Amino acid sequence: MTNPLIIVENIVKKYHRGAEELTVLNSLNFTVHEGEFVALMGPSGSGKTTLLNLIAGIDRPNSGYIFVGKDEISALSEDKLAEWRSRHIGFIFQTYNLIPVLTAFENVELPLLLTPLGKSERRKHVEIALSIVGLADRMSHYPRQLSGGQEQRVAIARAIVTDPTLLMADEPTGDLDAKSAEEVLILLERLNSEFKKTIIIVTHDPKAAARASRLVRLEKGILKEDIPTESLDSARFAEAASVFVEARPK
Amino acid sequence: MKLLPLILKNVFRKKARAILTIGSIILPLLVICLMGTFLRLLDRPDPAETRGMFRIVTRHKVGLASPLPMSYAEKIQQLDGAFAVTKFNWFGGKYIDNSARNFFARFAVEPETLVQVFDDATITQGSATDWFNDRAGSLVGEDLMKKFGWRIGDQIVLIGDIYPVTIQLTIRAVYQLPDGDSDALFFNREYLEEALPSFQGKVGTIWTKCRDGAAATRLSDEIDQMFENSPYPTKTETEKAFQMGFVSMLGNVKLLITSLGTIVVFVILLIAANTMALSARERIREIALLRTLGFSRVTILMLTLGESLMLALFGGILGLGLFVVGFRPLKASLINTPLSGFATAMTLFPEVLLLGLAITIFVGLFSGLVPAIQASMRPITEGLRHIG
Repeated sequence: MTNPLIIVENIVKKYHRGAEELTVLNSLNFTVHEGEFVALMGPSGSGKTTLLNLIAGIDRPNSGYIFVGKDEISALSEDKLAEWRSRHIGFIFQTYNLIPVLTAFENVELPLLLTPLGKSERRKHVEIALSIVGLADRMSHYPRQLSGGQEQRVAIARAIVTDPTLLMADEPTGDLDAKSAEEVLILLERLNSEFKKTIIIVTHDPKAAARASRLVRLEKGILKEDIPTESLDSARFAEAASVFVEARPK
Repeated sequence: MKLLPLILKNVFRKKARAILTIGSIILPLLVICLMGTFLRLLDRPDPAETRGMFRIVTRHKVGLASPLPMSYAEKIQQLDGAFAVTKFNWFGGKYIDNSARNFFARFAVEPETLVQVFDDATITQGSATDWFNDRAGSLVGEDLMKKFGWRIGDQIVLIGDIYPVTIQLTIRAVYQLPDGDSDALFFNREYLEEALPSFQGKVGTIWTKCRDGAAATRLSDEIDQMFENSPYPTKTETEKAFQMGFVSMLGNVKLLITSLGTIVVFVILLIAANTMALSARERIREIALLRTLGFSRVTILMLTLGESLMLALFGGILGLGLFVVGFRPLKASLINTPLSGFATAMTLFPEVLLLGLAITIFVGLFSGLVPAIQASMRPITEGLRHIG
């Protein structure tokens, strides 16, 4: 077993909706090792996206500790946290979140603008990232000129261009057709196996979860199940997935 | 500087809106520059002080329409500190027709004393002696010569209205004043006195060149006190105050112009702020994305402020550029209107352009301030959830 990369200790996250207080994560403990590919599953409102956001440093817990490597990110100031994200986190969204007025190249280049890299170095990094996702020939295309699958691959290139410690994906195949979703999953799997990226993916899709090395199931802010996927056969996956799908609000 | 291309792309993201906003900055800025030029003209230092001319003007206390006895000029001339005295009579009348285009100032004067009092004027064509020697001669301002395409020796016929007489003048000399206000015609008052005997003995204004500044201040009071109890009481002012008197007839023009200018600036600010607020609201998710990528709050603040500043600068620089390019044609077009007096004195003041630039920067920064703060302070997760 490799070293723990992420340690989540007794995390509590509450939201206020008017006078009402909602506890989304309740004393959650969770560890991810370097190089793992973890699928977070659970019904809507179970806290999986909240957990992802906390680990990515874009949200803060009410109590508890989050360590990523040597950094206790739950204790970092806003500015330090922003700097930390720029170095350690690659985030992939369900809706791609590409900037429409920027080309594929410029979208991928965005995180590099925060680094001291010069223009030619940035270009080299962007070209490598886009070639990894198979879009080296689409650099000058605007998002509107790309298909959904291509847009998501540009978003993945943007997530990996800084060579981050962690890749966080929030339902990356949620808006894609089956073929594009498959391509994106293959790409994520490759980033994990070939480039040794630690990946956490939030998904409702059993096919996506099947690509992961570990399946973590949340329910009402509590970790219900944490099992290696290799121990699951396809029937068990389907069963697990159906549980989740049924639990989703209609 | 790395973020400049991103700022530029955001400025022109919605081209129609950006162009309309830039337009809404350009046009009011032109108005502000025009107002600023007018204000600057009113505030221009007194030439009597800056050039050591120390001129004062005496008129009837009631107003310019009431004449003074000619003998007053001789009495003023005898006062200690009076260097030279000359007499002006507004002739009025019409040249060709009564249109604004053909309107200019026409005065009956004493040629010899006029050049003594206005010794800062230079004769650019013809000579003062030619004018002195020809009773029907006239001295014409350089600007007026250019406007009508006149040349030395040309004949000018003025048909009187206040004075029922038609006079025919020959241009004998052309003058230029250092401040550029060279747009009047002067002719010998003796010509008018001969043609119209009833004109004799009356004078509209008396201009005195004082020995120094102290004398100018002292004589202003002394002259008015001297004639205080006469049938023709006087009001004596410095040349600048006299010129300002015309303007003050319209009320407190400076206050009015400043107030209007402030309103115009406020309107530009509201328009630009509205554009920035719309722009920031449409991009809540994008800003959340940038922050997810590691852009700090300060960077987001700078990006948003940079965008509003850039938008304002596009409008501002274009507006100021248009003002500079259009200044001469504008000045030329105003010369044929009732604003001709203002137009001839119009100069491209650097401080007016600087004011325009300062207003542009002010609008740019303040219009983006609130959206920038909101964008940088909004929690990332809230921004990512935003549906816009």
